Amino acid sequence: MSTLAQKEIRMAATSLGSSSAQGLPSNEGDDVERECSRKPDQKPLKHYGVGDPSTMVSSSSPHLSSRGSINKWFWDSFEGIQRTCQMDEYDEDKNPNGIINLSISENKLCLDLLTRRLSQSDMLWVEPSLLQYTDWRGHAFLREEVARFLSFYCKSPAPLKPDNVLVLNGSISVFSALATVLCEVGEAFLIPAPFYGSITRHVHRYGSVRLVSVHLDSEVTGMETRPFQLTVEKLEMAFQGAKSEGVKVKGLILINPHNPLGDVYSVEELQGYLDFAKRHELHVIMDEVYMLSVFEKSIEYHSVLSLERLPDPQRTHVMWAPSKDFGMSGVRFSTLYTENQDVATAVASLCCCHSLSGLVQYQMAQLFRDRDWIDQVFLPENHARLKAAHTYVSEELRALGIPFLSRGAGFFIWANLGKYLPEATFDQELLLWRRFLDNRVLLSCGKAFECKEPGWFRLIFSDRIHRLRLGMQRIRQVLEGESQVAADAPSCQTQEPRGPGSHYED
Amino acid sequence: MSDPSDISRMLCGQTGDQTLRNHSIYTQMMETVLSFMKLTTRDQQQDPVLEGQKHSQAIREEEALLGHLMIQLVKHVESVATGGQKFQLSWPSMDSRDNVRGGQQAQSSRQTCQDTFIGYDLSNRGLDISSLYHSSFQDHNTYQRNKYHKENNTLGFINLGTSENKLCVDLLKERLRRSDMNYVDDNLLQYPDWRGQPFLREEVARFLTTYCKAPAHLDPENVVILNGCSSVFSSLAMVLCDPGEAFLVPTPFFSGFIFSACLYAKVELLPVHLDSRVTSANTSPFQLTVGKLEQALFEAKMEGKKVRGLLLTNPQNPLGDVYSRDAFDLHVIVDEIYMLTVFDEAITFHSVLSIESLPDPGKTHVIWGTSKGFGLSGFCFGALYTYNREVASAVSAFGFLHGISGIAQYKLTQLLQDREWLDNTYLPINRFRLQAAHKYITNELKALNVPFLNRGSGLFVWINLKKYLHPCTFEEELLLHRRFLDKKLILSPGKSFMCKEPGWFRLVFADNHLLLRSAMHRFHQVLLEQERDWTRKQLEDAIKE
Repeated sequence: MSTLAQKEIRMAATSLGSSSAQGLPSNEGDDVERECSRKPDQKPLKHYGVGDPSTMVSSSSPHLSSRGSINKWFWDSFEGIQRTCQMDEYDEDKNPNGIINLSISENKLCLDLLTRRLSQSDMLWVEPSLLQYTDWRGHAFLREEVARFLSFYCKSPAPLKPDNVLVLNGSISVFSALATVLCEVGEAFLIPAPFYGSITRHVHRYGSVRLVSVHLDSEVTGMETRPFQLTVEKLEMAFQGAKSEGVKVKGLILINPHNPLGDVYSVEELQGYLDFAKRHELHVIMDEVYMLSVFEKSIEYHSVLSLERLPDPQRTHVMWAPSKDFGMSGVRFSTLYTENQDVATAVASLCCCHSLSGLVQYQMAQLFRDRDWIDQVFLPENHARLKAAHTYVSEELRALGIPFLSRGAGFFIWANLGKYLPEATFDQELLLWRRFLDNRVLLSCGKAFECKEPGWFRLIFSDRIHRLRLGMQRIRQVLEGESQVAADAPSCQTQEPRGPGSHYED
Repeated sequence: MSDPSDISRMLCGQTGDQTLRNHSIYTQMMETVLSFMKLTTRDQQQDPVLEGQKHSQAIREEEALLGHLMIQLVKHVESVATGGQKFQLSWPSMDSRDNVRGGQQAQSSRQTCQDTFIGYDLSNRGLDISSLYHSSFQDHNTYQRNKYHKENNTLGFINLGTSENKLCVDLLKERLRRSDMNYVDDNLLQYPDWRGQPFLREEVARFLTTYCKAPAHLDPENVVILNGCSSVFSSLAMVLCDPGEAFLVPTPFFSGFIFSACLYAKVELLPVHLDSRVTSANTSPFQLTVGKLEQALFEAKMEGKKVRGLLLTNPQNPLGDVYSRDAFDLHVIVDEIYMLTVFDEAITFHSVLSIESLPDPGKTHVIWGTSKGFGLSGFCFGALYTYNREVASAVSAFGFLHGISGIAQYKLTQLLQDREWLDNTYLPINRFRLQAAHKYITNELKALNVPFLNRGSGLFVWINLKKYLHPCTFEEELLLHRRFLDKKLILSPGKSFMCKEPGWFRLVFADNHLLLRSAMHRFHQVLLEQERDWTRKQLEDAIKE
């Protein structure tokens, strides 16, 4: 591989998911790069990493501001790859040699149920108020319905209040708005890594807020009971570490059920994390968008809203959206529940840029109201289909002897392909990712999730079976060396697509 | 008053428009304390009832401002002490009652202050955004809670402050309930093209080609779809300017721009003041000339401001002017959201997209949406048309934050492509109803002897109530505005459009006839009261002497 191409790819890889405030002097880009090429046998020096960002933007346009250039670069690089793949997407009839995309966290298993429900005649309601300006927090009827819905499905001890509900056009907007109103430019949120890396760009795009990764380890040590387990001790170390570097941490982002690990936190764990946050006066942003996608019956899910006593209710902000649980990422709808009226007001004032059509608000309220359909048709069927797809993919992986994590929640399997890397580096991980892509299957590699250890991949299984079959077959070909692309002659001189930003869900 | 610094400036008797943005908080505090002292001393000298009210109001605002600045100061001191971070002045909220929301300046910046005291959880910019919200939305929220209804709530607020077209709701409702609108497919439910679905971008390009009379077919690749025109403007401000940089804007202009420029992008809007007087150089009231632009640009440069662009609205909000083509000789963002509201057949609207050869196509960006022409403000749809692919890409990246539901995109596409309905039903009827409503309102104004600008486009008239202000100041303008509110009538005062001359108001007429009648009745009452009080005060003064 030419040095140039190597540098190019490494640049894309290192920049991926890392971010920093524009205008802040920074040399952390170099650190990241050094860490990447660190030999695997060395023990990690740090249990945390301060995300750094815009340093890799090399070109700027005379027409654009510097932040405009950064966004153009985001668009052309990470965000470009999905577009490239979309244009060449697999289709049984029209494009049988197209790319099988197992990198976008979308639930495509129940689209039939949803399109049927959403085209029933009750969805076609129009009234003048739906066509006009309204409360920027969302129509009152919708906020009431969301409060009822969350009270029920989160099992809250008391009914949740509609006044604490805000409706925005997607979870990305919720992250962005919270980052803006809770942090100054350059301040940071803690986030356990691996995590889905697009959050980095979402909190940066408007907010110029950074992420401090709390690095989790695949090795189970001490009191831990599972790989990549989040402990209060790790949170504490990362918090203190960032503090010692002068990074002001304002909050903690928790994703439950976790993407990509599929972890579901126990009540005790949740309580511990929340107590930690309270000790340091940190806000907690709970991302619960996979709440209803726990398909393994043995798993008990606890929403943070179900806790009898929240340690710091004024600093706990809960996000939920139907984009994952109902497989409607295209509807651009998300909710924020916060008891803190100052935060609610501040977010509401940004809502004039994050609002959604009144007609869609009406449809969502209709959907949430229809408990019969949800409880008797949608959820059971959805869980059964998720479970079947999960069973298929996990058996395939077992057959290949690939270790993986997956606990019966979410749409993904976190697989360790470390044994297929000639050496445990992120360069090699990227090469393997590239070989998958060359063999027409798109996965997300661990680097994109700020994972510390090279070799982990996220694989989405919530797709139709014929695609999964073909996808698994193509993966197997690569791993068993049957693909057309020889391992010693990688085609990564190609610069298009440029980076493995192979995930941009919200 | 939403902008504390603005109040102090106004009360100190300084002229209107340079902001105190570059002053430190300490300076702002000192100035506020000074004006506070002036107020209290003045209070001892005169005490007619009205004056007293005015003063106590002003004093409350001053108190609120002091409180707000104190919080900022405390926060800054704290951040300096704890974080060792660079001292950074937060962006003061600007004076922007956002009239999209139809609110008016809050009586209670004090409330803002109390809230911000509790709001210790917020960042400085979060606090600023919140106080902006309070000042802009309080009355909109009051309105939302207590709306006029012809049967159920005849004492509720009538809102002629929000620029919405409510004249054709019946037509739209009928169209949107037809069966072709009831369609959902897999594609609409999944992650979209963040620039907007290709089918909608194609339809928007076709639509604009026709209705802007573009010389050649517009290219869907130049279209970016976001959830509303304020999102489009916010994103454009982000990608064209770095924080603190500026756009020139002719005043009076729609204050929503200040709101959008300030929320996320922290871009400054520098006013190009237009004059209501007609002179040899100024052949019509509030005329924009290249000379005025050049002058403003020169002044901005002298002050060390980095001006990145010019923001034009065509047809003009709140004036309803339609610019002639030669005005477009500069690097510009053109908001053409009122394009389809030209109701006077004698007027020809020239879209910037109709120009054969644009001076600098790479720097011309057009904003359009359906909220005004179609009265679909609740649809949350805005489009950018730009020839500059870099700008298109950078704005597209903001599609992640400003995306629209696939279902809504589909409905919009259906609506825009139904040319038969548009050309034979909707547009003619809409034009006719706008004409009728405009005629009714302007006749009423003439009967009341209220001067106004008579333009044939837009949803509003720009009226001059100077003669009811004694003296003619922005303070008095605000008081008159409050008087309207007391009579449950919402109008937008000129100050919120950064108009240089006190006494102008914007009155939205695109509403049903019965409502307009009640509104004009209330309007008349207020003017009568205002006159009566003035006469009484004059008499009292005469008696004292």
